[in-house]
Amino acid sequence: MTEHVIEVAAPPVGSRRPPPALLALAILACAVSAIPLVYLLVRVSGGAPDEIASILARPRMPALLLNTVSLVVTVTLSSLVLGMLTAFLLVRVRLRAQRVWIVLAALPLAVPSYLAAFGWLALIPGMQGFWGSFFLLTIVSTPYVTLPVAAAIRGGTTGLDDVARTLGHGPWRAFWLGTWPQIRPAALAGSLLVALYVLSEFGAVALMRYPVLTTAIQQAYGASFNRNYAAILAIILVAIAMILVFGEQRARGRVRRQFGAVTGVSRVRMVSLRAARIPSYLLLAVVPTCAVGIPVSVLVGRLLQAETLRELDVLSLGQAIANTLGLALGGAVTAVLLAIPIAALAARYRGRVVRAIESTGYLALGLPGIVVGLSLVFFSLAVIPALYQTAIVLTFAYGVLFMPKAIGAIRSSVAQVPESLSDVARTLGYSRWQTWRHVTVRLARPGIMAGAMLVAVTAMKELPATLLLRPTGTNTLATELWARTDVSAYGAAAPYAAALVLVASVPAFLLSGARRGRTDEVPS
Amino acid sequence: MSQLSLTDVVVGFDAEPVLRGITLDVPSGALAAVVGPSGCGKTTLLRTIAGLVRARSGEIRIGQRMMATHGIHLAPEKRRVGWVPQDAALFPHLTVAENVAFGLGIGTRAARRAARGAEVARLLGLVSLSALADRLPSQLSGGQAQRVALARALAVSPEIVLLDEPFAALDPVLRAELRAEVRALLAAEGVTGILVTHDQAEALSTADFVAVMNDGQLLQFGTPREIYERPRDPWVAGFVGESNLVRGMWSDGFVECVLGRVVAQWGGASTAVPVDGQPVTLLLRPEQLVLGPAPTMPAAFSATVTTMSYGGHDVLVGLMLADGTRMISRVVSAGALSAGAPVTASVSGPALAFSPQ
Amino acid sequence: MRVSLAIAATATALALVLTGCSAPQSSPADGASGAPEGDGELTLYVGRDEALVAPLIEKFTEATGIEVTARYASSSELNALLFEEGDNTPAEAFLSQDAGALGSLSNAGLLSKLPADLTSIIPAGFTSANGTWLGITGRARVIAYDSETVDAADVPKAIAALTDPKYAGEVAFAPGNASMQSFVTALRVLDGEDAAEAWVKGMSENSPVLTEKNGETLDLVNSGEVSFGLINHYYWFEDAAELGEDAMRAQLAFLPGDAGGMVNVTGAGILKGSKDDPDALAFLEYLVSEAGQQYFVEQTYEYPLLPGVAAPEGLPALDSLVNPKLDLSDLESLSQTQELLAKYGLL
Repeated sequence: MTEHVIEVAAPPVGSRRPPPALLALAILACAVSAIPLVYLLVRVSGGAPDEIASILARPRMPALLLNTVSLVVTVTLSSLVLGMLTAFLLVRVRLRAQRVWIVLAALPLAVPSYLAAFGWLALIPGMQGFWGSFFLLTIVSTPYVTLPVAAAIRGGTTGLDDVARTLGHGPWRAFWLGTWPQIRPAALAGSLLVALYVLSEFGAVALMRYPVLTTAIQQAYGASFNRNYAAILAIILVAIAMILVFGEQRARGRVRRQFGAVTGVSRVRMVSLRAARIPSYLLLAVVPTCAVGIPVSVLVGRLLQAETLRELDVLSLGQAIANTLGLALGGAVTAVLLAIPIAALAARYRGRVVRAIESTGYLALGLPGIVVGLSLVFFSLAVIPALYQTAIVLTFAYGVLFMPKAIGAIRSSVAQVPESLSDVARTLGYSRWQTWRHVTVRLARPGIMAGAMLVAVTAMKELPATLLLRPTGTNTLATELWARTDVSAYGAAAPYAAALVLVASVPAFLLSGARRGRTDEVPS
Repeated sequence: MSQLSLTDVVVGFDAEPVLRGITLDVPSGALAAVVGPSGCGKTTLLRTIAGLVRARSGEIRIGQRMMATHGIHLAPEKRRVGWVPQDAALFPHLTVAENVAFGLGIGTRAARRAARGAEVARLLGLVSLSALADRLPSQLSGGQAQRVALARALAVSPEIVLLDEPFAALDPVLRAELRAEVRALLAAEGVTGILVTHDQAEALSTADFVAVMNDGQLLQFGTPREIYERPRDPWVAGFVGESNLVRGMWSDGFVECVLGRVVAQWGGASTAVPVDGQPVTLLLRPEQLVLGPAPTMPAAFSATVTTMSYGGHDVLVGLMLADGTRMISRVVSAGALSAGAPVTASVSGPALAFSPQ
Repeated sequence: MRVSLAIAATATALALVLTGCSAPQSSPADGASGAPEGDGELTLYVGRDEALVAPLIEKFTEATGIEVTARYASSSELNALLFEEGDNTPAEAFLSQDAGALGSLSNAGLLSKLPADLTSIIPAGFTSANGTWLGITGRARVIAYDSETVDAADVPKAIAALTDPKYAGEVAFAPGNASMQSFVTALRVLDGEDAAEAWVKGMSENSPVLTEKNGETLDLVNSGEVSFGLINHYYWFEDAAELGEDAMRAQLAFLPGDAGGMVNVTGAGILKGSKDDPDALAFLEYLVSEAGQQYFVEQTYEYPLLPGVAAPEGLPALDSLVNPKLDLSDLESLSQTQELLAKYGLL
């Protein structure tokens, strides 16, 4: 079928109320993700108003805020630019060993930021403060932009660029007019993940000695034993997260999927590199080299020179790998189950209620793990004490923490399932639930799996909530790594670091989409 | 006994109803076309019949079965209606045969099993796609995809099939072919059909009945001939075909106007039959304006040819009268006519008169 | 959908298996050898390094037959966790990296009072004043200096000298670190509020290099980025063990008699939620036994607090330090210290 833009006829307003069951499930998921917020409010309400005022008036507060905001803004912008360039090169350009590059672009996801920071600091001890943090967070979070944007370019069409070119626009302007509108939702969703990630990031900025709100929260717990102070700082993080989420929603606007015909084949015209070949390959190499290559090789180097190389306990390493996999998988399933109703609601319906539910779903992502961890301690002791410090509560915590990472992927994949398919299924005797299960979920499966993988890869690296909530005596690769880096025993840490990166590479590989093969190439 | 029956169906909120009280009866086995401008509510009407949209009030029956009444709403999966959407909406992960079998059991596995059954083979034969049973939707042409969609809808033995602009994206030749095929198929299977289209010619030529909608209301329902020849007002007339509107004065079965004294029938509501001397709007189809030297006809007038639009089987000729009034005429052959040439025209057959708008 | 269901099932199964594995094994109490009222099991929160404490716990189990389930995390996280858990905590004892965490729990009434015959073993100033927690080992505050650029003789003998403008940008410390804050508290108690404020002000105006942790501070000295770092003594010994003593560019200067050379202690307490399990008490007794104290000396180079156990070589005598005049877990004093640091933009 020829390629054409299908107008999505605006359905009449009156019929666009979400089904009560979906709304109820989404509200439930939203309530779950609001647990940390409720916890913070309980904590803050425990403090006297003048204490709160004096905390907000601390001389360091403006600097902390400024540092936090400037890091969020700069890292988000640089990841956006770097991620879009990388995505463009990966999808639109004829590359040698394209699949290898695609996998490499996703690989930084497998490296915990604290590990990358460790490696870099071992190499360049002076790499600290704003620029160190900026550099490090940019390279580890660029894949959050690269992956969705590459998928959007792959699924889109360059036909609109061609139209723009024939209308007399240069290639850059044509890209802006033709391709950018198609990738904008993906780029914005990726940027939001980056921004929230930077907001909540603690490990790397602490190592880089850049004081931000999260490091101040850690200090409040660590030195002041002042939970109220920590809660107030965390609420500031929530407020910033809220601004970011609303900003993304506004910027995303009313853009809906309208590009690429339902039955048509998407057409992506490939570009030859010519003179730009070497700079392009260099650009593609920058992120994986800086985020994976250098830190990992530095740590391996340390392993070889360390004098206190402890005997490697293969059994406990194996146990840690198994625990890591099991917990991450459980977390991914929980996160996806929580994210699906919210994502489905956001994909299919609009309105103030839907927007509010979607934004609440994102808030936990702006909080450092220790706050979410403590909130679940609070919650599970209050509601289900029997499950406290069991794997069930820990996987649940992963679900709450990382559910927002799955929302975006699931939302866009559900939005891409034409609603006419659901209509057909309904008239063919499928109930709403059967339609959802056999049509929507079936067709949105790649996005749902991508969301699950993104959660899994993040959960594997998670530390603070894991330390608090893991079943006593259960170790994961991240906790084993933590136990060994705490006494600057780099040597003993290296096998665990390597195992963690290797294990996390599996979901990162699946996320890269390299398995799905090359883009359908169309001669230009 | 009518197969589909709607009584005063309202859809949407108070302030802006999308359907404002639709009453409609379609006889069993008939094919009814619904036409109207974009946004008039015709697709919503179809979705409401299917149960995909909930009616706020009114009644919908299919045969003896009540689909909706007093806010009670039968779920679409229980209505046994066939649905053929504009984009065919084939399930991209299933083969042609599996798509057709999708309604014969719940789930992909059931579809796979049913796809090998005799019923699917019969349906694929019916739409002449037996050879393509194992293809994926992405390997089909637009026309083939629509035929699969139709076979899929028929698979569940619906009492009524709803077609939402199924031919819109096809090229004209294919379109005509498929139109005839669909009509024959529905007739052969004895299924009542409702076809939404924005193409009036398609509606008039294909359907047994035509429903004209505008702004959420059903303006007229009737056979194509009734709609074309006895439109209930100039708007309906203009929507289903080209028309010339001329102002004039009623005079006992005639209308005095710039064309002379034209034989006329009252087309408006029977309660408003005009008295002599009352101003009216006169409706003339282009084919009622006969060109050429025919001085014997009672109402003949002179005009100048302004444009010629060649349509193959006929020609639309633009005319301008001495006072500047523009009209169009449809002739079978243009003969020696050319732009700028003076012609004599006359009115054939009675024209319809309406109250002036 | 089938695939995702399968994954869900697998994950749930795995989660269940994990839970099952990790539940404390309910081995029957070794009737004869254990304390009569004890259940032979002990749940412990450990705010110290697992590699350090795990072998000690093994020795304890060997000696007493009490099975220990330990949860490792940083002291600050465990402190926050214990606050959150309150009386519902599964922990019976808490082994902490610093006295402040124990003091905050004591203030909140979460710690049991320990028997006097146990608390009296440890000299005053190195254990709690109210008998709710027990000092285990000591960690001296020291100045680490860059031996390549600074002569041992030129290292200041008191931290007061570091406010001198000639050291601008040359001193690193971690103001958020509990040991550092204890030291500032000591300064306030010993030298008076005015002197302490003058010192904090002077340091904040002397372009200090602020770090998150003592370990980072030492790294900075070791790489020659700063000339001086205020740290705890044992960091140096750990690095020396990892990298070799010859590789240590940083060297230590001890400050006997100066507030800057005070000793912080690691300690342990028993949670009220434990219902006074004698097993918890047995663990604390073991920590301050000769065997326990010797273990810390050998493994961590920390001061033993039990009189009669020899300190690691090269450390000044415990009684030459200023501690006896201090209450290390006085949190009110701690919060004043934090206000002071915050006032000059260090927190």
